[in-house]
Parts: sequence; structure tokens; C-alpha cells
Amino acid sequence: MSAIDELSAEFAKLPGIGRKTALRLTYYLLKRPPEQGRRLAAALVTVADRVRTCEQCYNLTEDPVCSICRDGRREPSLICAVEEAADIGAIERAGEFRGVYHVLGGRLSPLDGVGPDDLTVSQLVARVAAGAVREVILATNPSLEGEATALYVQRQLAGYPLTVSRIARGIPVGGDLEYADGVTIAQALSARREMR
Amino acid sequence: MAYLHLLRSVRGARDADVVRFGEAGWHIRGEASFGGIVPAPAARVVALGFERGSRRKRVTVAGAIPRRLSDALGAVPSVTFAPVDAEMVRGGPAARRRYLDVTLATTSRRYLTALQAYRGGLLQRNTALRSLARGAGEAAAAAWEPLLAESGAVLWAERAAWVVRWGPELARISAAIGERGVVEMRHAMRYSAASDGVCDEAASPAELAGVLAAALEAGRAGDVRHGATRVGPHRDDLILTLGGRDMRTYGSAGQQRTAAIALRILEAGTLRLGTGAAPVLLFDDPFAELDEGRARAILDVLGGGGDTVGQVILAVPRAADIPLGLTRLERCAIADGVVRGEDGDS
Ligand SMILES: [Zn+2]
Repeated sequence: MSAIDELSAEFAKLPGIGRKTALRLTYYLLKRPPEQGRRLAAALVTVADRVRTCEQCYNLTEDPVCSICRDGRREPSLICAVEEAADIGAIERAGEFRGVYHVLGGRLSPLDGVGPDDLTVSQLVARVAAGAVREVILATNPSLEGEATALYVQRQLAGYPLTVSRIARGIPVGGDLEYADGVTIAQALSARREMR
Repeated sequence: MAYLHLLRSVRGARDADVVRFGEAGWHIRGEASFGGIVPAPAARVVALGFERGSRRKRVTVAGAIPRRLSDALGAVPSVTFAPVDAEMVRGGPAARRRYLDVTLATTSRRYLTALQAYRGGLLQRNTALRSLARGAGEAAAAAWEPLLAESGAVLWAERAAWVVRWGPELARISAAIGERGVVEMRHAMRYSAASDGVCDEAASPAELAGVLAAALEAGRAGDVRHGATRVGPHRDDLILTLGGRDMRTYGSAGQQRTAAIALRILEAGTLRLGTGAAPVLLFDDPFAELDEGRARAILDVLGGGGDTVGQVILAVPRAADIPLGLTRLERCAIADGVVRGEDGDS
């Protein structure tokens, strides 16, 4: 395989990028000064080497514990559980939430080969079992899989003395938290409802 | 007209098959203004198109594109009776469940939402059950049970309430058509793999969710062996009896056909209550296999239904199939896809 084919094959593995776009990106880079390609390669290596998951919340971080978990002004007794680390960015941009997070690492979907053991649900239960958690807000996406995941997590937390709530339906059904705007997220969080 | 209501062909044809040979697609447009209950919905125009090239369906309601196809369901209410409907009474439970689902999903937003969640969840749980051999663990199937229990309980509760609400009406219509025995219906709830039960009218959705959750848990090990979920609303039945005997096995062809017509009239009544508009009734060859007395009685029921049903359209293969004495019907003939008034002037 030629170097050009190799790079465009790597681009084509990325979400939303087809074979044509992958080739276009490859030829674009080849037309730019070589320095640009080297910077991109270096950034990719750095990310691969340095970024890992937070020991507490499974957010992406370059440290053992992420900056949100380390922030003393945040409320550690309030945990917002999200599907992906990217969802944290969306909620942080809304600027309303003062608690900490838990990244579940996806959503239940046997069709995609994802079962409860592929998520960090047991780790969330362990955080709750360690005590001092007052409320868990389930901020999974309002899709079928997101709802099933929220209901499943709620059942796993049923034995503990805390409030389990679900963000309100401000996010359009089938929409992703990641792409919702700040006002919508802030409203969905403040109008959250306790799950029975 | 029926195409506009359910957004698909009543005969179950695929959209591409409905396209006339050699044409790129089809487009239909319906306009409905509603009389009856106040406040009636405003007149709505629903347009539906299908392109063969992209295999896409496009719908607009009152000029706007609904966010999802399901939002346009029921915008122009209509009910169709087709000769194959006798199969609803004669055949297996799947056709009767489909009848309940269509009737309730077009009139209850809550039912439609629960049905979509339940079907999606069922597919996921069954997938998990079948992947157990690959070591995914029973937990993967169990994880979907809370969602199935919550959504399934809504289906159970609404089906049971519908049967209670419309049971007497079924008996009344059947008697009016000339059925001598009492026609009754019963919602058989599949809450154990071995037997059916009758839904307690007083049970709340929360209680039903508890029943379904327990049933799913109890059946899980067996479900793994079968590779399918064996309890829940997707295994329910709507049992129709005549004089206490199951119409599936004991009804004559005429009795089964009459019962199917009665079910379609109930569907129209449900739509009338749910949407505030009297639906259009399309009857395709309803009188085949029926004696003239029954045919006449059915027309009397339709005519005397007050504002339960709106316009009734009868389609019969031969003019002679319309009972004598029904001169007040307006007649049209259809030849080569062109509709003409009987005098040939329109
Ligand atoms: Zn963290």
C-alpha cells in the first residue's frame, strides 16, 4: 500500500468521513507545507500517549484525576452521569452545573454489542457505596438506548439512600446532548425529575 | 384516503410497489375538514409523496414537514375494511394485536410512544438473549427489562381500558347486524410463558410494570433457551367470543366477516373520540359471503351511527352486489383509474 493510500485509509476510519473525503483530506495536506503535516502527526501522538481516563469519573484527562474532580469548589455529593466524555463539555458550556461527573462510557445496546459490563455502572455504584453522594442525575441521551441505560442505572442504585433524578425532556427526543445548546441543557438540568 | 391516514398502504404493499409502472414516484394530497365535537381540529391538508429513486417518503401536514413520520399519523382519520380483514377474526393473534396497536397508537400519543419504546427494547433484549452463547452474560438481557416493564405496562393498561370501554359497543353493533348470540371480547394478557391472564381493570401502570418486570425475570432463563422473549404485550391476544365460544374456531365465515366489520366500526368510534373528527370509512367489498339481510343491517348501522362515522365509501366489484333498495347511495364507477359519476358527467 502506498503512503497516500495508507493515510487516506486511516482518515476513512473516522466517523462521518467516506473514501472520497479521505482522499480529499490527504491531497489537501500534501499541498500544504510539510510542517503542517508534521504538527498534525505530533498532536495525534501526544493525544495517544498522554490522554487517559480519570480514575474517579472516567472523564478524559492528562492527569490521574481530572481537573473537575480536583476542583475544591465543586460539590462532590452531586454526580451527573453522562454517556460520553464529550457530553461533559456540553454541560460545562451551559455553566449551570456545580457538581461532578461520571462517564458511563456509552449506552446499553446489544445490537451494537454493548452490555452493562461494557459500561462503568458498577464503578458508579462503588462511588455511591463509598458514601457522601446525595444525588445522581442521569443525563443520558433521550434515545431508546439512553432511556434504557438510565432505568438500568436507577435500578442498580435503588438500595442506596440518595435521590436519583433524570434530566427533563428539554432535549429533543433522539437528539444528542453533545449537540444541544447551553440554554436547553440548563433548563433540562434544573427541571430534572426524581425517578421512582 | 387510507394511505394518508396510516402513511402506508392498507394492503401492506411496499411503497415502491404502489408506483405505477414507468413513473418516478407518486404523490397524493388530502384535505380534511372536521365536523362534530367542539373544538374540532382545523382543516388540515396532508400531502404524501414517494420517490422511487431515493426510496424516500415525504409528508407535509398543513404545509409543514413533521419532525418524524409518526407525528403525521392520524392527521386525516380514516378506517378501511378489506375482505382480508376476516383473517383478523379467523387467524392467529398477530393480526388482532396489530388491530389494537393501530387503533390505539393513532388515538393515544402515550400509547404510540410506549409502543415504539417497547418494540425497540424487545429487539434489544432478544438480541442480548441470542448473544449469550458468545458469553455476553444474562445481565445484558436483564438490563433492558426495566424499560420493557415501563413501556409494556402502558400497552397493557390502555388495551385493557379499551376493551372495557368498547366491549358493550361490540355487543350492540353485532346484535344490530343480526348476530343472535352475544359477541364479547377479552384482552388476554401474556404474563407467564405458560398461560394468559386477564388484566385487572383497577391495576395501575405501576402495578402492571411490577407484574411484567417479575414475569420477564422469571422467564429469563427459559427465554435464553428459546432465544426470544416469551412474555409481554407482544404475545397478547384479543379473544372474540360468540355465545361464549371462540369465534376463531367456532364462527362461520359470515360471522367472522361480520365481527371484522364490527371491529372496524369500533376503530372508527375510537378515532372519533380520540381525534374529535368522524373518520371516513372505506369498505372494500364488504358484502361478499353475506346474505342480503346482514348487508342491509350493516348499512343501517353505518347510517344510524349518528356522528360516529363520517363519510362512508363502499367499493364493490359489481353494481349488483349492492343490496336492492339502497337507492339513496351516490354511485361512481371506476374504470382505468378514472372515477366517473354514474351518469358519466363527472
Ligand atoms: Zn474526574
